[in-house]
Amino acid sequence: MSNFNLTLSPSQIEYVLKPGVTIIQAYDVTNNSDSFINLNTEVLSWIPSGTTGSVNYQQAVNNPSITFSLNNSDLQLGQSFNLPPKTKRQLVLKIKTNSNINLSDNYYTFFVTQNLTTTSSKDNISQASGKIGSHILLTVSDVQDPKVESAIQNFSISPKIKDVFFRPITFTGQIKNNSDFFFKINGQVTITKNDKIIKELILNSDNVLNHHARNFSCSDQNVCQLKTPLWPGHYKVNLTLDSSLNAKSYDTSFYVLPLSPVLFILLIAGIIFGMKKLNNPKPLITKPTSNI
Amino acid sequence: MTKTIQKKMSSFFKGGSFAIAKQVGLFIIFLFTIYHLRSKPLFAQTFDSNSYHIDFGNFNMTSGKKSSANYTLTDTVGQNAPGQYDSAGYIIKAGFQYLYDKNIPLSFIISNLDLNFGSLTPNIGSTVTNTLTISTPTGRGYDILVIANHPLQSIGGNSTIPDTKCDSGTCSESTSDVWASNSTYGFGFNAIGVNSSMVATGVGTSNYFTNSTYFRQFADNSASETAKIIMSESAPVKDHSALITYKINISSDQAAGTYQNSINYIAVPKY
Repeated sequence: MSNFNLTLSPSQIEYVLKPGVTIIQAYDVTNNSDSFINLNTEVLSWIPSGTTGSVNYQQAVNNPSITFSLNNSDLQLGQSFNLPPKTKRQLVLKIKTNSNINLSDNYYTFFVTQNLTTTSSKDNISQASGKIGSHILLTVSDVQDPKVESAIQNFSISPKIKDVFFRPITFTGQIKNNSDFFFKINGQVTITKNDKIIKELILNSDNVLNHHARNFSCSDQNVCQLKTPLWPGHYKVNLTLDSSLNAKSYDTSFYVLPLSPVLFILLIAGIIFGMKKLNNPKPLITKPTSNI
Repeated sequence: MTKTIQKKMSSFFKGGSFAIAKQVGLFIIFLFTIYHLRSKPLFAQTFDSNSYHIDFGNFNMTSGKKSSANYTLTDTVGQNAPGQYDSAGYIIKAGFQYLYDKNIPLSFIISNLDLNFGSLTPNIGSTVTNTLTISTPTGRGYDILVIANHPLQSIGGNSTIPDTKCDSGTCSESTSDVWASNSTYGFGFNAIGVNSSMVATGVGTSNYFTNSTYFRQFADNSASETAKIIMSESAPVKDHSALITYKINISSDQAAGTYQNSINYIAVPKY
């Protein structure tokens, strides 16, 4: 039973390049399976898709000012090669930019594909194959830290009814990149009550690509949450990004209400009242019968 | 006045209500005690002054990275009991080598590439399975996409087994639905996240398949359809798996022949 079992390292590279620069990147591809496999390589461009870090290869257009090739002496990009079981091979990717390239971002994936083994079976067969990719994020710029502009959008707090116990308070939203160059989210959500900091949630340093938005998440817990129990009262929320991202900070607030304790007390009171009623039933009032 | 209140009180507590109220009160105290005794996270020691802040994560004699032309060595010397220690309320990571688990590269496994359905019987669904396993410890998770070169096609290309439309007649390459009826014909697949014991959890696949009765079509490259995501997560993972079930059900009118196609799985990290 043949299988696909590949490892590709690194899983992503990020470079800021000056126009006309050529860089070399080494990848390690490992065949973890017990059989000889035949592999091929390709580089495809993509554009961001959605707000969670997915990509779309279909609508992307190749930048003719960037060329890719393999620097291995015995191998070219797109040329198939064999990899014995349990062995690793280094593939050296050369990325060359023209000197007249536009100053902007370019996004690609370096793919390693396992070629299909030819079947001559007379059975009804679907032949599966695999492909593994490593993203390449390239910023072409004259300066090391190109200026970026960003904004906070679709910030929301849930649930709508916030109780002192039970469900944690969740903060969601997106960081929008209004510039031509990708950046990493750097910021925090600060929750205060009576001007005292209750919690500071550090945002994950996810990439936000040019002219796209990305959902923010929080380090350690992924989802940005304020765990219960909380004291009842008025809470202020501030989302601030690092000053280099040139974004306005976002302020909002919410109230936490002691709903569950009040409901619990009402329930207990109801139980006691009900028990009292059961133990002291009202005497039956019988209407005097008339002898008329 | 006092006598009236006493009278009302004795009336209220008459018939065992006082005993019930006492028991309820004790129960509330019990609940609060349990709540305050629950386990809480522990944090590393920190030291602050006006001019510095030290996070003290490690007590050792020396540590770091040493290298020469032939080797690279990382070490922690003097660390008491290096390694990771887990308990219900805390995790201790002693020594810095544990950091390397974040550098595990992107890995992708497909357990079986030859999906042999054998001979097909009309009105009886045939299924085969394989497993996808992915690790993406760095970055922000992964997407697994899939596309077929064409529908199941007889050798020579004279006839095809059409893609399933499920029992409702509405499923496609981007929408799944229940496919249980023996009178619903076609070819489709289900993906369900499983744990290491192959018990269905739906992790990574629940956004695409509600449960194991839901199927969808493969995206068809020959019809210019694009590869579709069938499994994804937004956090680094290690050895997360999905069981893929491929299903064919043909009618008695299906032309005799050997039907084949190829299915390509694509694993990429989230950027």
